[in-house]
Parts: sequence; structure tokens; C-alpha cells
Amino acid sequence: MAQPFPYTYYSCDCCDSDATAPRAERTSQLPPADDEDARTFDPRSPRANYSLYPLEHLLYCEDCQQIRCPRCVIEETLNWYCPSCLFEVPSSVIKTDGNRCTRNCYNCPVCTSPMTVNSLEDPAKPSPSGGPFILSCPYCHWSTVEIGITLEKHTGITSQLARTANGGKYIPSQKERDKERERRLQLSHRKSRDVLSGSDDSPTVDIDTDPSSMSHEDIFSNLSAFYKSQIAAQTPSYPFSPGHDINFSSPVAYSRLMTIYSPTTSKKRWQEKPAVMRESSGPLEGLIEHDSAADNLAIERLKKEGWASTLTPSQKLAQVSKPDTRFDDSLRPIPALLCTKRGKRCRDCRHILSKPESKITSTRYKIKLVAFNHIPRLSIRALASSPSSTSTTPAPTPTTPSTSTSTSTQAFNYNALKPGIPIPFLLHLLNPLFDPIRVTLATPKFTSGRVQSQVTILCPQFEVGANTDVWDDALTGSALGSVKKGGGPSGGAGGGGGSGGGGELEAGKIWEKGRNWTTVVVEVVPGFLRGIPGFGGSGRSPAATTSHGHGTGNDDDAEELEDAEDEHDAVLEIPVFVRIEYETDAQAEDRSLVDPRGGKGEKVKREEAFWTVVGVGRIQDV
Amino acid sequence: MSRPSARKAAPKGEYIETDSGNKVSRRSAITGTANITLGGKTVIMADVHLRGDLHSTRASTSTSGKEVTPTSISIGRCTVISTGSVIKPPCRVSKGQVHYYPMKIGDNVFVGPNCTISAIQVASYVHVGANVVMHPFVMVKENVKILPNTVIPAHMVIPSGSIVAGRPARVVGEVGEGWGGDRTGAGGGLGVGGGGEKQWLEGGDLRELVRSIK
Repeated sequence: MAQPFPYTYYSCDCCDSDATAPRAERTSQLPPADDEDARTFDPRSPRANYSLYPLEHLLYCEDCQQIRCPRCVIEETLNWYCPSCLFEVPSSVIKTDGNRCTRNCYNCPVCTSPMTVNSLEDPAKPSPSGGPFILSCPYCHWSTVEIGITLEKHTGITSQLARTANGGKYIPSQKERDKERERRLQLSHRKSRDVLSGSDDSPTVDIDTDPSSMSHEDIFSNLSAFYKSQIAAQTPSYPFSPGHDINFSSPVAYSRLMTIYSPTTSKKRWQEKPAVMRESSGPLEGLIEHDSAADNLAIERLKKEGWASTLTPSQKLAQVSKPDTRFDDSLRPIPALLCTKRGKRCRDCRHILSKPESKITSTRYKIKLVAFNHIPRLSIRALASSPSSTSTTPAPTPTTPSTSTSTSTQAFNYNALKPGIPIPFLLHLLNPLFDPIRVTLATPKFTSGRVQSQVTILCPQFEVGANTDVWDDALTGSALGSVKKGGGPSGGAGGGGGSGGGGELEAGKIWEKGRNWTTVVVEVVPGFLRGIPGFGGSGRSPAATTSHGHGTGNDDDAEELEDAEDEHDAVLEIPVFVRIEYETDAQAEDRSLVDPRGGKGEKVKREEAFWTVVGVGRIQDV
Repeated sequence: MSRPSARKAAPKGEYIETDSGNKVSRRSAITGTANITLGGKTVIMADVHLRGDLHSTRASTSTSGKEVTPTSISIGRCTVISTGSVIKPPCRVSKGQVHYYPMKIGDNVFVGPNCTISAIQVASYVHVGANVVMHPFVMVKENVKILPNTVIPAHMVIPSGSIVAGRPARVVGEVGEGWGGDRTGAGGGLGVGGGGEKQWLEGGDLRELVRSIK
């Protein structure tokens, strides 16, 4: 849990609900539905990891009236853009050129940092273009000089790199390579036919047929060209449509064949076994044989240069064209991967939950149904540390959100909860709805897991006001705005994890109430991390001691296990079940359901229930 | 006793508050104040170093012919710069001369403690964790969360809505739709007045945080 204490996570029950799972076959394996409902949520169960989210990460489907987490939405890509140059890439280009930026955006193959174009111009004799240029990494100072590549222009890097191999050699374009392959194949055919005729032709383009230096694209294009030629050789020349490009691979051609040939005449033809195709037999045809000499060469190089010249697995995998490369002299700059803007839909009803504006530079949303506008926000804090006490401290240490444990001694230390001592916490409920809600909170008496802490919500049932206009509050007078019911001011400073902040904690009464929020007290007695000798595990619940009793047979093993688990056990997380009820103006579809003749002022009763997990802090080891 | 001199004798706080609500710590180190603009309600904490003196040295002659003071650092509204951070405009060497470029920090930006920022632009609603280093000419777009101890290499562009971490920085995730919570403020925000301990969210409106700093 990366968030600092105290935090609140909301549980999305999509992994329990089987709306998306194939239900029919598996009903026998699933536990009965009422059992699922009756079960208390266990934040320690491995499955809980996948259902807990901060409130900001959740969406809300108004049609299903349910929370939607990242796992129960469908994403659809609106557009692609390069994260580096922020240009949009049309989807047609994505299909042809892949999901890489084809402008000048490259990442360092060593450290992934974006590379910059720098000039290597000699100030003594400046060139007209300002070049030559190199791509260099501002972070690790790797540059294309190390692989022997310099560029003539500072734009169009992609096309320049595509023409240049490591070491500065010229790479012929795809067309030239295809031509050369054809030529060579014909040559070899001719050679095999009449051995006597001397070969008088020199290669027009120098293509590398050395298997170790061929890129994956080369091999693939060779292989696909070979198979295409094989299929073409197999296909009988078809007299009916000579102009059309028909081959086996197109389904249109196949269906046309089927309709043209009548079943009676075609049967024999089609039952004929097609001749066995030849497989590729050389690098020109896309076959790369294992070369033990190359292996030996690599081993020799390793002996000479050591590990420093080799690549890490992640560096290897990042190489687009040759992921099986081994040494740092074969690195290529990595073109930047594109990002997407995505809309989200509910997985159940397919309604749009969020849709950003399609413009890349815009950060606004056309549709955005976020959960914090629909379900109350829960937050918890220790009663001992109130905002008023921290704000009066002179020269406040920087309010760092990342460290809840402030260096000031007056602040409550959430990372050291004293076991066995009841600590009052304030549970704060904020209502985002425009109707007042009735809230019922529930929590198991003891937290799950080995260390059992006792949790008591002093006032489990209360109301929270509607989220009306802020100015209503101000106009009626600030004195009436917030009503304290729990007693004295909450500014009971000092004392760290002391008990109580001055006011008496009365069961059944709320602590404080405002316009659209209510605060109740939760009393927590953190459990002991380990049993205290002589006290027979005091501080643990009877259930805990009995469960611990099972392991008394082999105490040593249990002790070791406990140490390993202590770190995890020390985190005090309380599952809280929240159920809210409210009446709201009926929407059109609701009205038709409830009462087709319903008037406009019709109210509809709504109910919502969900589990949350409140991370209170870490229990101190005594 | 309503003379300004009498008012000045009031107990000195940690912060000097300007007319537009900027809170600047007395213990901050600011050089070249003429070249710095603060948008209002912006907090500069103790030991923050703003290098306003590093401004563009190119002759900037305005149309009226008058000498204008070049702006080197401009910071938006409700932005918080935490203790020990250094804000230094980016520079590059061109033809043997060092040139500084003006940098912009947007609204509602939180900069954590002990950061070094040389970015050319940090847009609005950006949350920068502690000990983050931004090398020169970094461009951070809106709604970005930068995790603590990140080092962003020079010239890197961080697209809006991303979470960034690592050395060197990489985009490790997306902040999602709910980033910053309800920014309208009218919806009650996080329970202003009697709310939880944290009355503001990362990436949200920092007005409450600015108000609580005294």
C-alpha cells in the first residue's frame, strides 16, 4: 500500500458479481448468492488486492447505479499520439507503420530517456546545413556516434536512420531489397539450370545476406515473398478473370471459385490433393539456420570484452527490429511508442462513462461520470490531531503529502499505534448528492488476520445533509453551519496517541455535523503484534488466541513465520460497510417503472451499499 | 494606530503576504525579484531558491524603445513551492554564449520539498513529489503526477494525464478521470471546515492548502 496513512479504499464488487463471467456452466462451483452477501469483506484476502481502489480511480455508471472500477469498464481508443512531439497519428498510419512515432522522436536504447538531436559542426569550418548531426541521450550520454551513425539533416530522422546501418553503411530500401532478392533468386535458378554459363553479373545493390546481421523485418519479408511465390506457383492459372489478382489467401477468391464451379464438376478437382509445397531453403527465402560459428564468435567476444559490452534483458527487448541482439554495438535508437486517448464504457450496459475531447492538447472531458460525485467520501483521522492544532504551530514544517508522519512531535503518528490502548478516530462522511442521505455503517468487531484489533463505531446510524449551495451555509450564519454534538473542541493537542481529545465520547451520538458532512467517532483498540508472556495473549480476542493455539505444536516454525508476517500484520486496516439511503427526484425511466402516471414531484427511494477499507495506521511493536 | 508603520510592528510571522495573497517565507532566497511574477495565493516556503537573476540576456528592445525587464520565472495562482526547492530557469550554450530562457509554472502546482526544477514549462494541476530533479527544458503538461525521487532528463516532454517515475523518468501510468477530485469547489470539495486531515487532493485545487499555511 503505497499511500500514506490514513487512507480509504473503495471496493468494487465486480470480481464477485458474475455478470461478465460465463455463469451457466459454473453455477455449481460458485457459492450461493446469499452467502456472498452475508460475508464480510476481508482486506487481507488475496482477492481484495484486485478490488480496492482510491475513490478518485472509480467511475460510476448511472444506469447500473454502481461503482465501476478499471476492471469493469471497456476502453475504446479515440486516437493515437506521440508522447514526445504530441502530434496526433491517424489510425490509417497506425495500420501501416505501427505504433511508433515516425517523426524525430527517439528514445535512448540504454536508459530509455528521450534523445535530442545535436550538431557536431566544426566551428572552424562550418557547413551550410549545420551538420553533421547525431542523436544523443541527455541522461546517460549515449549517442549514435557509438554505433557509427551521423545524420545529414536534423529533421526526418526516421527515414535517415532507415537508410543507415550501424557503422554508417547504407541500407537499401525495401523496394531495392525486394528487387535484389528477385534478381539473386533468378540467378541461382539459372545457375542450377546451366552450370556452364559463367556468371558475369555483379550485384547492383549490396544486400547483406549474412544471417546474423539480418533484421527481423528482412527475414520476414524474405519468408513472405517466398511463400507468396510458392502459392502463386500452386494456383492454376485462371482463365476467367486474368486481370484480377486472385490467390489462395483471399476469401473472396475462394468463394468465387466455389460459386463458379458447379458441385458436380468441381468435386473431382477439389478432391485432388494439392502438390506438397517446398519449404524455404536459405536466407534469401527467409530461413535462418543456426550458426555455431556465430555463437563461438559471441563467446570469444564475451571473453575479450566482458559483461560490460552486453545488454540487459530489458534493453534487448526494447530493440524493435532485432530483439535477439547481444552486444552494445548493435543497439539502435528506439522510436517513441505512441500513446492513446481512450473513452470508457460500462461493461454491463455499454453506456459511456468517460469520453475525453479528441483534441490532443485538450484535457477536458465530454462525458465524465466519476464516483466521487455519486457516492459519499469517507475519510478518517485521529481525534488527537485536528487541523486547528497543526495550523497554530509556528513555522510549520512543509506539509508534505507523501509523509504523514510529520517531524513535529505534536502530530499524531499513524505509523506507531500503541497496541492495547483505545484510540478514538474520526470517520468523516461527505455527501456529494443533492439529497440528504441516511447512512448505516457496519464493521466487524475484530479485524481479520492474526493481529485482531477491536473496532467500535460509536454511532453507526446517522444522517448527512444534502450538498446544497455553499452560500446557503454562509447566509444562514457560520455559527449554525457546523454543529458540534460530541462535546468540547476537537483541538486536544499533544499527547500523541492519547485517549480522547477533550470531549466525551458518547455512544449513539455523532461527533460533528456540517452542511453536507457528518463526523462520527470510531474507537479502535489495536491488537498486540505478539502475545505477551504471562498474560496469555491479553489484548487478543479469544478467537485470536484459539486460532494461535493451533500452531502450538511446532512453536519455532510458527515464530519464524510470524516474524515474516509481522510487517504485513502491523498494518491496521478496517473494513467498513457503508449503506446509504436517500430519496431523490424520479428520473424519466424510473418514473415509468414505478408509476407511469407519476407526477413531476415524484420521489424515488434509492439505496446504495459498498465496502470500503480504511487504513488507519501501523501498530507499534512493544 | 492605523499607520502602516504601526501595522508592521505586529508579530512577525513566517510568511510575508503580498496584496494578491502570495505568501513568501522570510527564510526563502530570492534573487532578481524584478524578473519573477507570482500569480497570487502562491506559497514560497523556507529555503526555496528562486533564481530570477538568470534572465534572458539578449537585447530585448520593446516597440516603444523603453527597456523592459525580462521575466525569467513566472508562477501561477495557488502554487506551492515546498522547502528547499530550487527553481532555476533553463539555459543552453549557443555559439559560446550562455542563454537563459524564461520558465513558466502554472496554477495549482505542488512542488515537493528539495526539488530542483529547470523546466521550461510546468502546466497546471501538476503534483511534484519530494526530491524530484527536472533537467533543463523539460516540459510537463497538465494533470501530471511525478512520484518522489524522479529525475526527468533534459528536453523530455511529459504528456498530460500521466504518472511519471524513475531515473531517468518514464511514464508509468495514467492518473485517470478522477485526478484532482472535484475542482469546481462548489460541490463541497473535501469537507471544508470540519473535514479530514487532508483538505486537499494531489492535483486538485490547492486553495485550501494555501489557506492553511500560515
